[in-house]
Amino acid sequence: ATERTPRNERQMRRKALPPRTEKMAVDQDWASVYPVAAPFKPSAVPLPVRMGYPVKKGVPLAKEGNLELLKIPNFLHLTPVAIKRHCEALKDFCTEWPAALDSDEKCEKHFPIEIDTADYISSGPSVRNPKARVVTLRVKLSSLNLDDHAKKKLIKLVGERYCKATDELTLRTDRCPLRRQNYDYAVYLLTVLFHESWKTEDWEKSKTRADMDEHVWENSSSEKNLLRTLGRIWATEEGTEASPGHLLGTEEAAQYRECVMHLKNQGEDDAALARYKDAVKRLLHVA
Amino acid sequence: MAARAASGAVSRRLWQGLGNLSTSNSKSSTTKNAVFLLSTGVKWAQFSHLHIDFPKEVTKPAITVSDEPDTLYKRLSILVKAHDKAVLDSYEFFAVLAAKELGISIKVHEPPRKIERLTLLKSVHIFKKHRVQYEMRTLYRCLELERLTGCTANVYLEYIQRNLPEGVAMEVTKTQLQPLPEHIREPIWEKEVKDKEESKA
Repeated sequence: ATERTPRNERQMRRKALPPRTEKMAVDQDWASVYPVAAPFKPSAVPLPVRMGYPVKKGVPLAKEGNLELLKIPNFLHLTPVAIKRHCEALKDFCTEWPAALDSDEKCEKHFPIEIDTADYISSGPSVRNPKARVVTLRVKLSSLNLDDHAKKKLIKLVGERYCKATDELTLRTDRCPLRRQNYDYAVYLLTVLFHESWKTEDWEKSKTRADMDEHVWENSSSEKNLLRTLGRIWATEEGTEASPGHLLGTEEAAQYRECVMHLKNQGEDDAALARYKDAVKRLLHVA
Repeated sequence: MAARAASGAVSRRLWQGLGNLSTSNSKSSTTKNAVFLLSTGVKWAQFSHLHIDFPKEVTKPAITVSDEPDTLYKRLSILVKAHDKAVLDSYEFFAVLAAKELGISIKVHEPPRKIERLTLLKSVHIFKKHRVQYEMRTLYRCLELERLTGCTANVYLEYIQRNLPEGVAMEVTKTQLQPLPEHIREPIWEKEVKDKEESKA
């Protein structure tokens, strides 16, 4: 007769021993019971855990033979004692942050370039993630050695990658297959931009007033109007011709110049207009 | 079915054979019995390759000190994604405690969860009015570490990643600090002009 377990094996089978939990002391070393990530063993965990959706007028199922407890990842190998022990062993491999770089400003001053890279870990058929090769290089233009013309040219070359509010240039490289290649390309881009912006091409000399980014005071119509008005006042009062340098050198003229520049470059504002009014009044000795 | 019956017959014959052997050898009998008990149910074709593996001598990794300067990370942002809030809570507790023990400043916040829902037909054929809806919930936890050296970052990240539970994904964004490279200090055009003058003269 075929049985599920033959009679010999049934006689020879050992009796199930009591679970290990009954022999565990309260102050045992738990890290030696669960040293690494292991599935939940109900006979080795002395906690009366219950898990599962109960039937009507019932309780959740006990831990023996409970599939829900097996499915969920357990952190029995990462008790605070075990974590502290691991960290004690790992401390030898760590280095300290240099004490001189305790504020953000100091970091900016000595290390102006910031490189952003990303790593991705997930379970799936492949370990690789194509987003991992992106490298973003951020640098503040104030920390680069640029003069006025170079800075304007660089901003024009770079276009959308420059943020005026934070004065930061962002270069995001993605075109190479490896992260190291993308990083090298980003540094190369920065070098090329820097050197190109210091160059002055021949055709840049034919820059007209319409191409200028900001309002320039020299040879502007406001300057000419001012000189003409003040010249006429001077001529009627003194009777002699006045030199432009003398007229512009006065404090009122300088203040008037500042107000006009502010209005043209930063836009009109109630406070700015009020300042302009004061400057004009002082210039014409009316206030 | 036939294979199982055959293997059952083979096992019974071998068992009888081992039973005879056990009376003769007392020293090796225990190991042979243990081997037999381990392999009940395993196909006997692989019986000859069974052996007991002894752990090899584990050498601890040595601490090496090199001259090259350590990389500096201004900020390390770790985003952990999972389907279960309890798992994320436990992992966050572990990561925070590990960071505190290693002396790293850490801040944790919880970005809002995202639920992706899809509606499918319940039946294989027709019954358009009867559908079934599934959803995938992704819960997030963001750990932000400030001011780490390269060595500390590597150690911490390796420790965290080796203990990442099943079914949890992680994205690490590193912000590295670097000084201005040598070739961006001064524009080269002045040097080129000087070199040309020197070569001419």
